[in-house]
Amino acid sequence: MQDTHLFSIKDLSFSYPMGSIQVCALDRLNVHIPAKKLVTLSGPSGSGKSTLLHLLGLIEPLQKGEIAFLGSPFSSMKKSLQNQIRRRDIGFIFQRFHLIPVLSVEENVSYFISRMGWPKSEVKKRTEEALDTVGLSKHIKKLPFELSGLQRQRVAIARALVKNPKVILADEPTANLDQTTGKGVMDLLQKLVEKGVSVIISTHDPMVLSYADMKIHLLDGKLVQQGDK
Amino acid sequence: MQIMYFAFRNLFRNLRRTLAIVITIAVGSGALFCFDGFIQGVQKDFRENTIRSHSGNGEFHTKGYLDSAYEDPWKEWISNYDDVADFLYEQPGVEYIFPRVSINGMLVHHKKSISGAGQGIDADEEAEFFQSLEIVDGEPLTDQANGILLGKGLAKAIDAHPGEEIRFYTKSIHGKIRSRYFQVAGVFETGNADFDNRVFRIQIGAAQSLLGTSRIESISIGLNDHKNWDAVSASLTAQFPFLESASFAEINKIWYQHSMDWLDAQYHIIQIIILTIVLLGIFNTISTSILERKEEIGNLRANGESVFDVMRLVLYEGLFLGTIGGFVGLASAYLVASFILHQGILMPPGPGQTKQFFIAFVFTEKMAVTALSLSIISTLIASFFAGIKVCRMSIAKQLRSF
Repeated sequence: MQDTHLFSIKDLSFSYPMGSIQVCALDRLNVHIPAKKLVTLSGPSGSGKSTLLHLLGLIEPLQKGEIAFLGSPFSSMKKSLQNQIRRRDIGFIFQRFHLIPVLSVEENVSYFISRMGWPKSEVKKRTEEALDTVGLSKHIKKLPFELSGLQRQRVAIARALVKNPKVILADEPTANLDQTTGKGVMDLLQKLVEKGVSVIISTHDPMVLSYADMKIHLLDGKLVQQGDK
Repeated sequence: MQIMYFAFRNLFRNLRRTLAIVITIAVGSGALFCFDGFIQGVQKDFRENTIRSHSGNGEFHTKGYLDSAYEDPWKEWISNYDDVADFLYEQPGVEYIFPRVSINGMLVHHKKSISGAGQGIDADEEAEFFQSLEIVDGEPLTDQANGILLGKGLAKAIDAHPGEEIRFYTKSIHGKIRSRYFQVAGVFETGNADFDNRVFRIQIGAAQSLLGTSRIESISIGLNDHKNWDAVSASLTAQFPFLESASFAEINKIWYQHSMDWLDAQYHIIQIIILTIVLLGIFNTISTSILERKEEIGNLRANGESVFDVMRLVLYEGLFLGTIGGFVGLASAYLVASFILHQGILMPPGPGQTKQFFIAFVFTEKMAVTALSLSIISTLIASFFAGIKVCRMSIAKQLRSF
């Protein structure tokens, strides 16, 4: 039977080396994440939520267990296919924005899709749409240092959005923003979910948790609570 | 194309650092270019001095003459000199033709005598071309029918001075002892002690008269450009198959070719030292520049860029830096050499010489391409190792690097 979940996580364990000992970040985690929902990964610092997000985004290699993305297991995936999935199907939003400082707002948003080989007109159209969605149409020529925190995070969202990904993975996207600005970002992400994009957010911000369709709470690398709205 | 554009924009990320890298590369490429130009200048000067001191651009003689010993060597000499000379004058680039014969014998002055190896030469013609033959006393041999030019060691041995008469004894090809008085025109020094202790020069007509032959032992030539030698040599030996040629480099193999090889080796050693310094200098700066962008590289990788894409980005940056630095270095070196050091560099007297002289820089397109290529390659190597260092980290580790 075909797996209809966005992510299926089975017996997932992960540890980091710290000197001569291994620190367990995830311990035999089993969970299914549905598509087209806003899912939050919560828990205190060191609970493993960022590690899980990194594993889901193929930016941390699997150690033990399995993750399947739309039924395709990561463990048997070639690196080139992993690059393809990161390029086309996954959009990232980081806490520290990670905008490219030498490129303008427009170039930051269009860079990765222009690398996909799309026609220039299509790249331009999509970039304009994405920047319009996040309300930055008037700032396209600005460099990142000329923007406020919220504007930078909006550029990061537009960059994730412009690829029309299957899922957006956001690592504490509101951590560097004030409450009002953070709410602005969450409203934007919720609108994306309404348009059919899956969003998975790692957070311990109660405001963010209030937007969740599904909450996954971790403690010491273990799933302690899972619930739907 | 996007990667190349991004790499270009990265040059403006930290202008001070970019400038430091460009200056380091420029100093390296400029130093390589200048040193190569200087060595080329030395080699050119050395080549011209060798050609214009005594051997000309090369000489022709009968086949096998230099490799064999003959009881009656004059029987092997060139009998149809006029035909050969006429043909040579028709060849492009030939400006001077110097017929020569060897004449050995005893030089006597007062009660001192010494055996010497003489050269019968067309002195008037040779005086015009052989400007590097240093006359240390008296004047060159030109049209003085009874003049003789002595090597420094030879003149000292018989205590002969310009204006004095010496008697020369030799044996004709028919076995008869002949003698003639010559007046010392001058004393020369080439720096080659063996040559200066043995050799003297007289007019070729006088030498042929004493020997009793009209034949010519060898024909040296003076060209407008040493690069014409191969063509002239090939056409002459094709026309006169009984002749063979020896270039000035072959004639002066030990004196000239070994010195050129020594200069070449010296250049290559300095080249390696300069490149190593440049490589170490820029590796550190480029590494810092790339390592502090680990997070950004992690972001690129997280968005689907492969290791290959990131390496392309890093290498393009290296290519731009190497090219800009290389060109800046070449242009600066050329400007300094052309305007500030346009006369060249003043050198102390060379071996066997008494005067200081200037070595001018000689720049060629090939040297510019070599210096530029080496600058770019060094920068690419430094960029490659710095890039690989970051790319070997996992993406998550790159993203955590703040």
